[in-house]
Amino acid sequence: MNVVDKARVKPAAKLLSGNNACALGAVAAGCRFFAGYPITPSSEIAERLVTLLPQAGGVFIQMEDEISAMAAVVGASMGGAKAMTATSGPGFSLKQENIGYAAGAEIPCVIVNVMRGGPSTGMPTRPSQADVMQTRFGSHGDYPMIVLAPASVREIYSETIRAFDLAETCRTPVILLYDQVIAQSSETVALEPPTTPRAERKWATGPREEFKPFAVGPDGIPAMAKPGAGYRVHTTGLTHSETGFPSQDPETVNRNLGRLFSKLERHREQIDSWEAVQCDDADVVIVAIGISSRAARRAVEICRASGVRAGLFRPITLWPFPEAPLCAATKNARAVLVPELSIGQLRLEVERLLGRDKVEGLHQFSGEPITPAQIAARATALASEA
Amino acid sequence: MAATRFEVRFGGTGGQGLLLSGKMLADALASEGKNVAQSQTYEPTSRGGFCNADLVIANGEVDYPLPIAFDCLVLLDQLAIKPSWSRTKPNALVIADTRNCPDLPAGDYPCHHLPLSRTAIELGSERVTNIVALGALLELSGICKRASIERVLRASSPRSFLDLNLDALAAGYALAAPVAAAAS
Repeated sequence: MNVVDKARVKPAAKLLSGNNACALGAVAAGCRFFAGYPITPSSEIAERLVTLLPQAGGVFIQMEDEISAMAAVVGASMGGAKAMTATSGPGFSLKQENIGYAAGAEIPCVIVNVMRGGPSTGMPTRPSQADVMQTRFGSHGDYPMIVLAPASVREIYSETIRAFDLAETCRTPVILLYDQVIAQSSETVALEPPTTPRAERKWATGPREEFKPFAVGPDGIPAMAKPGAGYRVHTTGLTHSETGFPSQDPETVNRNLGRLFSKLERHREQIDSWEAVQCDDADVVIVAIGISSRAARRAVEICRASGVRAGLFRPITLWPFPEAPLCAATKNARAVLVPELSIGQLRLEVERLLGRDKVEGLHQFSGEPITPAQIAARATALASEA
Repeated sequence: MAATRFEVRFGGTGGQGLLLSGKMLADALASEGKNVAQSQTYEPTSRGGFCNADLVIANGEVDYPLPIAFDCLVLLDQLAIKPSWSRTKPNALVIADTRNCPDLPAGDYPCHHLPLSRTAIELGSERVTNIVALGALLELSGICKRASIERVLRASSPRSFLDLNLDALAAGYALAAPVAAAAS
């Protein structure tokens, strides 16, 4: 759904940081297990959950490292808990093996990656948007991934809740991706607890003897067996058949791996989310996420005030990429500008969809956010060239 | 349409309570229906060295949450001038502490050099300089109602600091009152 159509923002209430909103959203979504290892600029999530989770009857564990934290989350989810971890680039790299396991074994869980400058340990306190491709392709092999990219404190809260819902609905890991600025800046918000029911785990029912842990119904999602319910389960990182036991039978592999992708395609209506602002008549459409999209939003106003027809397209679900909505939003545009805090990652996806001719990047990786003035200047130049 | 923006920086050194002042002001403004975004330094400077709390205040939604140009600058230490001055609007309201920020750049701008920290020390603790500054800022800028900030101060002060904080706020208002009267 295009969020422009959603209700206007209600009066503000209290100053809250993005990371705090994430912790509150997790608890509201039903998260009852967190394992993590502190890392700037994500640590406030853990810091808040260490208090909130026990109060909610949940468990918080500070693990010995990033890898074990991801392993604990996978284990907790297999045990039946809605589980989450939070990290930043260096930790996200370490978690990739177990994220791939969660994708292959179809373990619902939420991984928060708060982007800071890289590569390696990079710039712990400076923003970056250079993990766009790693969230999609970070672990080896073919697997799909749902990645949500909120751009405000309010949206971090609502997207955290949505991340848990999608993880359960699609039986898949979901990554919540945002940058240091959005994470650690605070905004006044009145958080409204969700009114709709949360998605819950689909548990196996029926005769135990006939149970196959990876047999699916029409929605393409296998039911999980509740531990202790007497169902026989085998889970492996190896390619497997419906029985859960390893198989390299080409037909079985094709069917199972294909299903990992098709199950997401079947739920695109729920997964897709984006925002298109003043794109209909725009000569230049700016495509951005996170803090860059906040700068772009202001840049659109600056441009419009000086007679330049600019618009903003903001993927809220970053992966799978909202392909058709982007194409629709840029249909009339003569140029497309992609400002991002990287050497060019989001731009590559936009170019894949729209071609290289009308797409231009505005890339900054110094650790400083791109300003509205920078974006407005480039958009204005593009509008006059085009 | 873009929302109207009003940008405030509390600038000083680590440990002066700049973030707390910012948070209290933001909560007070929020109670009046305004939207505020606050950003700050995330560096080891929070343990000494330049430190800041920047507020972007808007009637509607705050589009870009980081400051662009300050309408108001509260300076509690000399260190804060250099990183702030080039981003301060020419006619910005500047409030500076006489003791910790004695030398201000030359220029024709509405500057108020007030004994903020000395007042706090006289009240009993230099630690409430941030609250004295908050009072002075609100008297001079009128960006939020006194009742709103007092309500936040009562709700968020530790009991042992409540009376001192309320006194500090009142002292800040009083310090700036003659200046505000002269200007109007």
